[in-house]
Amino acid sequence: MHIPDGFLNTGVSVVTGVAAAGAVGYGLYKAREELDEKSVPMLALCAAFVFAAQMLNFPIAGGTSGHFLGGALAAVLLGPWLGGLVIALVLLVQCLGFADGGLTALGANIFNMALIGTILAYYFFYGLKSMLPKSRAYFLAAAGVTAWLSVFLASGACAIELAVSGTSPLGVALPAMLGVHALIGMVEAAITVLVIGVVLAVRPDLVGTYDYRPLLADYGEAEVSR
Amino acid sequence: MKHVFLDEYSDLSSPVHQLDPRAKLVGLVAFIIICVSTPPDRYAAFAAYLGLELVLVLISRLPWRHVLKRLLVVLPFILVVAAFLPFFGKGGGSYNLGPLTVSAHGLLVLWNVAAKSTVSVLAVILLSSTTPFPELLKGMEKLKVPVLLTTILSFMYRYVFVLMDELQRMRRARDSRGWSGKWFWQGKVIGHMIAALFLRSYERGERVYAAMLARGYEGNARAIYLYDFGIMEAGFVSMLALFPLAARLIS
Repeated sequence: MHIPDGFLNTGVSVVTGVAAAGAVGYGLYKAREELDEKSVPMLALCAAFVFAAQMLNFPIAGGTSGHFLGGALAAVLLGPWLGGLVIALVLLVQCLGFADGGLTALGANIFNMALIGTILAYYFFYGLKSMLPKSRAYFLAAAGVTAWLSVFLASGACAIELAVSGTSPLGVALPAMLGVHALIGMVEAAITVLVIGVVLAVRPDLVGTYDYRPLLADYGEAEVSR
Repeated sequence: MKHVFLDEYSDLSSPVHQLDPRAKLVGLVAFIIICVSTPPDRYAAFAAYLGLELVLVLISRLPWRHVLKRLLVVLPFILVVAAFLPFFGKGGGSYNLGPLTVSAHGLLVLWNVAAKSTVSVLAVILLSSTTPFPELLKGMEKLKVPVLLTTILSFMYRYVFVLMDELQRMRRARDSRGWSGKWFWQGKVIGHMIAALFLRSYERGERVYAAMLARGYEGNARAIYLYDFGIMEAGFVSMLALFPLAARLIS
């Protein structure tokens, strides 16, 4: 889903670039305001973690493979703006270091995966979470649905940008992208739920959006006696 | 540490490697913008862009194998998004290729994205393979990119290698226990690996931060900037901007 240079026209590049710059700027502002100086190593570490996790490929149907994107995970762990900032940093390093994703398409890539895949996904997660009963299981379910939707919507935005730029017709690109990413999204959801489940069990303080008072019933006996 | 994957060959010595990172950053960004905004039917202009880049690869003494390997990054995206276009596109006349009908407009769009993405990726390869990432970040800082951003990125660069080591260890352990990656249910293993990676790296981050505080870290790392924006740099930037502009106007 990393769009290279040359696939987008000037209008799409500029509009998504401005939106992406605004979001990254606001994320940096939030990082400076909300967190102490500890934020620098921690944000860097989360970005390095997402970067490394994206290197793990898993098989999908038909001999192709996909990899974990981490937008929803970053949103659940860090909240919308810092999560979006982390994903944007990963995209920036992939663009400058690997030439994965074009320089003039960086704005569009940040728009798809950080603005839609992380920040918008967070607000969806927040809404879903507040509608569901407060328990660990529903929290994880909400995270899973969010992870699927984050990948699905990001791929849809990618297809729309390509169509608006006149690169590929919407009627072909949109169903193709959404179809493939509906599958990738399921794996993304499964991995996100697994990861958040393990982190909740071991270091619940690290899941920034998990604000329920832990109920004894939520934990197994082993954790309670810890 | 067995992997130098991010800025491989950036420690070679060549006239391009010795340039101020600011010059490479500004020059190559200008070059990419000129390339991307060129109308697709200026075939000679694209040949000129590619020629300029090949000369720069020669001067910088980068191994061709490395450059070609990095170039392959764009291929999947072109194949998935654009390879079918000549067969679906409408307008602009069409050619018959055996049983297939190829639309001229679709072919032009395919050429457009393939040429522009190849030239641009080559430009980024030239940037990342001739500039060590920390030097690139210092250059970005000099160009008024927010210090917070470059500081986070420089920490990220340092951590990525540590995490990749961790990941390689886990991967080796996983593979030696018979993980084949062929079955859907083995995805669970990936989930547990990612969770373990997160927890290990976070806790390592906490330790590293405590160690940094103990050694007097107060929010920014001090470093010397060894480069000077001199005549070579000015020449490099103007060559990267003026030559493609001229090629575009003439063709």
